[in-house]
Amino acid sequence: MEGASYQRFPKVKIRELKDDYAKFELRETDASVANALRRVMIAEVPTIAIDLVEIEVNSSVLNDEFIAHRLGLIPLTSERAMSMRFSRDCDACDGDGQCEFCSVEFHLRAKCINDQTLDVTSKDLYSSDHTVVPVDFSDTSSGFENPEDQRGITIVKLRKGQELRLRAIARKGIGKDHAKWSPAATVTFMYEPEIHINEEMMETLSLEEKTSVVESSPTKVFGINPHTQQVEVVDPEAYTYDDEVLKKVEAMGKPGLVEIYAKEDSFIFTVESTGAVKASQLVLNAIEVLKQKLDAVRLSEDTVEADDQFGELGAHMRGG
Amino acid sequence: MNAPDRYERFVVPEGTKKVSYERDTKIINAASFTIEREDHTIGNIVRMQLHRDGNVLFAGYKLPHPLQYKIIVRVHTSSQSSPMQAYNLAINDLDKELDHLKAAFEAEVARVSGEY
Ligand SMILES: [Zn+2]
Repeated sequence: MEGASYQRFPKVKIRELKDDYAKFELRETDASVANALRRVMIAEVPTIAIDLVEIEVNSSVLNDEFIAHRLGLIPLTSERAMSMRFSRDCDACDGDGQCEFCSVEFHLRAKCINDQTLDVTSKDLYSSDHTVVPVDFSDTSSGFENPEDQRGITIVKLRKGQELRLRAIARKGIGKDHAKWSPAATVTFMYEPEIHINEEMMETLSLEEKTSVVESSPTKVFGINPHTQQVEVVDPEAYTYDDEVLKKVEAMGKPGLVEIYAKEDSFIFTVESTGAVKASQLVLNAIEVLKQKLDAVRLSEDTVEADDQFGELGAHMRGG
Repeated sequence: MNAPDRYERFVVPEGTKKVSYERDTKIINAASFTIEREDHTIGNIVRMQLHRDGNVLFAGYKLPHPLQYKIIVRVHTSSQSSPMQAYNLAINDLDKELDHLKAAFEAEVARVSGEY
C-alpha cells in the first residue's frame, strides 16, 4: 500500500488576462476542485478593508454609520493581505487591532467652503501605508471622458459649510466574515460542452428545417455555412445547457440529430476582481489558501496516538 | 439579536479540536471524522478524492446544520487500508494536485504576460 497515489495533474490554459479579469481553461480535474477554487476565491482569499471608523466631525446629510458602511465597501489594494496578520490573532497588539502588523490607518478631512458642491471620494482618504490605498479605476480606460468623473468612488457630497473629518482603521479579513472583504466581483465556471451533429441525418433536412434547428437555440451556438449550406457549430460555449435544440430535434422526429454532452473534467473559468488583487494573483492566492485549509484538516499526532491504543485494545478483543 | 457572531463560522473555539476521529463500533475499517469550522469547500473535495481510492468502499460528508459550523466525513475501507490511511492519502494527493496546479498556472501567467 505504501506509495499509492491517486493524484491528478490538472492542465491550465489562460485565454485572456487583464489586471481585473481572467478567463482560463482548467482540465483533467473534477468539479469538486473547480468549485472549491471558486468558493475560496469568493469567500476565503483575504483582502484589506476599513473595519473601524472614528468620526470627529460629520455635518453632512448622511449619518455616521451610513458613511462608515460606505467606507468599508471601498476596495483597497491588498497585495499585503496574504502576509498580514488577522487582528484576532495578532499578539503584537493583544487583539486591539491597531498595530502595524494587522492594520492600516486612514484619515479623511473635507470641508466645503464655497457654493460649488464638494464630492468627497475615495481619493480623499489618506493612508498610513502607501501599498494599501483605495483602488484607482481611472487608468483602466473605463469610458470616462470627463476628467472630473475620474475622482474615485463618491462617499458623500457636501454643500457650503458642511464638513467631514474622520479616522479609519482597515484590517485584514475574508469574504466569509463580511462581503466587503471579498476580492471577487464574480467568479464562475462552466463545463465545456461537446456538441455532435449527425451530418448524415442533417443532409436529409431542407434548408428551412436546418434554419429552424439553428434558430431553436436561444443563444447563437449554431450557424449555416453560406457556401455549403451545412449546419455548423459556431460557438459551443454560447450553449447554456438549456436543452432547446434537443427538444427541437426531438419534436422534428429526428432524435440524435444533435447530441450535446458536458465534458466532466473540463471547465472554463471567468474571474473578475474588485481590483483589490490582480485576477491572476486572486487565483494563485485561492490555491494557496486551499492548501492551507487542507493542511489544517490533517489529523493531529494525539488523535492518531489515541486511536493506536484503541486499535490495540480492539485487536486484543478480536483475539489478535 | 440572537444571531451568532460572524467569526463563529471560521474560528475554532479554544479547547476544541479541529479534527476528531471516531471509529464505528460495529463495522471494522469504518469511521467518521468531525471537522470543525469547515464546509462544502473541504467536505466535497475530500469526499471526491476518497472516491478515487480503490480501497475506499464508502466515502461521504454532511453538513449537519447550517448553524453548526462543522462537517462530518464518513469513510469505510476494505481490509487493505484503513479510514485514517485513506483520509491522509486523500489530503496528500489533493495537496500535490494543488502544487501542480499552482506551477501550471504560474507558467501560464508567465507565458501570457510575455506575449504583450
Ligand atoms: Zn496587531
